[in-house]
Amino acid sequence: MNGALFKKALSSRMALAGFIIISLVFLFAMLAPIIAPYDPDDINVKAILLGPSWQHWMGTDGLGRDVLSRMLYGGRISLLVGLVAVGISTAIGIILGAIAGFYRGWVDTLIMRLVDVMLSIPSFFLILAVIAFLTPSIINIMIVIGLTSWMGVTRLVRAEFLSLRGREFVLASQTLGAKDARLIFIHLLPNSLTPIIVSAVLGVAGAVLMESGLSFLGLGVQAPQASWGNILTDGKEYIQFAWWLSLFPGMAILVTVLGYNLLGEGLRDALDPRSDKRV
Amino acid sequence: MLNYIIKRVLWMIPLLIGISLISFFIMHLAPGDITNTEAGFNPKASEESRQKLRELYNLDKPVIVQYGLWMQRMARLDFGQSFASHQKPVFWQTKDAEGNITKGMIQEALPITLLINILGLVITLSLAIPLGIIAARKYTHWQDKSITLFNFIGFSIPGFWLSLLLMYWLGVVNNWLPISGIHSINYDSLDTLGKIKDTLTHLFLPVIIPSVTGLAGITMFVKNGMLDVLHQDYITTARAKGLNEHKVVYTHALRNALLPLITIVGLAIPGLIGGSVIAETIFAIPGMGKLFFDAVLMRDFPVIMGILTIGSALTLLGNLIADIAYAWADPRVRRGVVKG
Repeated sequence: MNGALFKKALSSRMALAGFIIISLVFLFAMLAPIIAPYDPDDINVKAILLGPSWQHWMGTDGLGRDVLSRMLYGGRISLLVGLVAVGISTAIGIILGAIAGFYRGWVDTLIMRLVDVMLSIPSFFLILAVIAFLTPSIINIMIVIGLTSWMGVTRLVRAEFLSLRGREFVLASQTLGAKDARLIFIHLLPNSLTPIIVSAVLGVAGAVLMESGLSFLGLGVQAPQASWGNILTDGKEYIQFAWWLSLFPGMAILVTVLGYNLLGEGLRDALDPRSDKRV
Repeated sequence: MLNYIIKRVLWMIPLLIGISLISFFIMHLAPGDITNTEAGFNPKASEESRQKLRELYNLDKPVIVQYGLWMQRMARLDFGQSFASHQKPVFWQTKDAEGNITKGMIQEALPITLLINILGLVITLSLAIPLGIIAARKYTHWQDKSITLFNFIGFSIPGFWLSLLLMYWLGVVNNWLPISGIHSINYDSLDTLGKIKDTLTHLFLPVIIPSVTGLAGITMFVKNGMLDVLHQDYITTARAKGLNEHKVVYTHALRNALLPLITIVGLAIPGLIGGSVIAETIFAIPGMGKLFFDAVLMRDFPVIMGILTIGSALTLLGNLIADIAYAWADPRVRRGVVKG
C-alpha cells in the first residue's frame, strides 16, 4: 500500500473512526501497568462485589479484585490473541493461496478441496474439539483460532493470483527469465495486498469475538489471568447481584470489534475502485 | 436437473472422506494415548473404560487399519456409546435383550437445536429482507445510514453478552421470562396450550439472540444484492417503459436480488450449528451445542467425534439443498452456464 492509498484510506470517515477506536483501545491496554489503579490479581476479601464507585470505577468482582484493572490487563490479552491468531491464519492463507493460484493443476484442486472440507466442519465445534485434546492456554487458543480460520484468505489470494497471473507485466517478467519466487513475491503478492489487508483487519474482529467466547466458556484464557471473556463468566455467575461484571467487559469487546469492523469495511470501500460507481 | 443433482451428490464423497480424515486426525492429536488424556482430565475414567476406548478405536493396530475400521463403523452411523453418561448410545436408540429402548444422545438433542435455528432463521429472514430493501432504495439517505449503523453493531456485539444483558433485564429485573431450560418444573401438569406457551416462553431468548446477531449479515447481503440488480439494464428498461417504482422493485428486481440468498443461508448453517454452543450453554438448553460442550469438558470422545461428524454431515446436506434449490430457481445454473 503506497502513501496515496493510505491517505485515501484515512479520508474515509468510517476507516478513520475505526482507526481512532482501535488506537485508543491499544493505548489503554499498553498503559495498563501505569494507569491501572490496583493490581489486577489483588484479592481483597473486604471489597467483594462492590458496585461502581470512586474507589472502584467499574466495581469489584467475586474475589474483591478491581474490575477496571482487570479490564485493562485483560484487554492486552484479547488484543494479543486477536493479532497473533490472524497473523497465523493470514500467513497460512497467503502460502496456500499463492501455491494454488500460481501453480494451478492438481495442487490447486487439492488445496481447494481442503478448504471445502474445512468450511464444512462447524468451526466452533472444530475449535472446541481440538482444545479438548490440548490444554486451554493463551498460546493454544491463538494457534487453534489461526489454524481454523485461514480458508477465506486462501480463497482470496488464489483468486487474486489467478487473475493477475495472465497479465502482461507478469508474463513479461516471466519471459525475461524471472524465477517463480520472484514472480510470486515481487509481482503477484504486492498487487494482491489490498484485499488481504482488508480481510485480515476484519479477521481480527472475528478472532477477538472467538477468544472472548472461548474464555467465557472457560476454555480460553484461564483464571487468574484476566481476559474480557472470562470476566464475563463471573458476570454470568453473579448476574443476580452484580450487573457491572457483565456490562463493562461486554462493552469493551463490542467497542474493539466495532473498531476493527469499521476500519476493515472503511478500508474496503476506500481502496476498492468499484465502490465509487455506486451512487 | 437430474444430471445436476447426481453430479452434485457425487461431489460430496471426497468432502466426506476429507471430513473423516480431519476428525480422525484430531482424535490422534492428543499427546501419547488418548486414553491418557481421558484419565488425566476425567478422574472417573477407570482402567475398564480406558480398555474400552482402546478397543473402540483399535489403538493397538496400525494407524491405517484404525482409520479403515473407524470408517466402517461411521458408514453404519455407529458412533459407539458415551463414556460419561451411563453408556448411552451416541447417535441413535438401541434395544437391549429385554426390549428396553435407550434413546441416542444426538437423537434427543438434534431436534431441539434444529427447532431453535429454524425459528431463528425465519425471524432473521423476515426482518432482514425488508430492511435490506429499504436500505437499498434509500441508499445514502438516513434510513440506509441508520440500518448500516445497526448492522455494524450487530456484527460486533458478542451474542453471549447480549444474552446476559437480556437475561438480566427480562429474567432477573422484570421476571418476565424464564432464563434457563426448555420447560418449567410443572410442565407435565399443563394442558396442551399451556405446554406450547411454556415452551415458547423458554425458547424466546435463545431464538431471538442469534436472530439479532445474524440479522446484520443478511441485511447487508440483501442490500448489496438489491443495489447490484437495480443498476442493471433490464431495470432501466422497466423504468423507461413507464412501470411504477413499486412494480420495478418488487416484481422485477427482488426475485433476482434474493436468489443468492439461498446460497448464503446454506453457507450460514455451520455457523448456526457451532454458534448454538454458547447460547445453549447460557440458557441450559439440552441441544447439540450443550451436549458438545459437556462432552468436551468430560473428554467424552465418542460424543465429540459423533457430533463433529453429524454436524459436518448436516452442513454438507444444507449446502446440497441450497445448491439444488438454487438450480431449481435459476435455469442458468442447472444448465451449467454460470456457476451457482
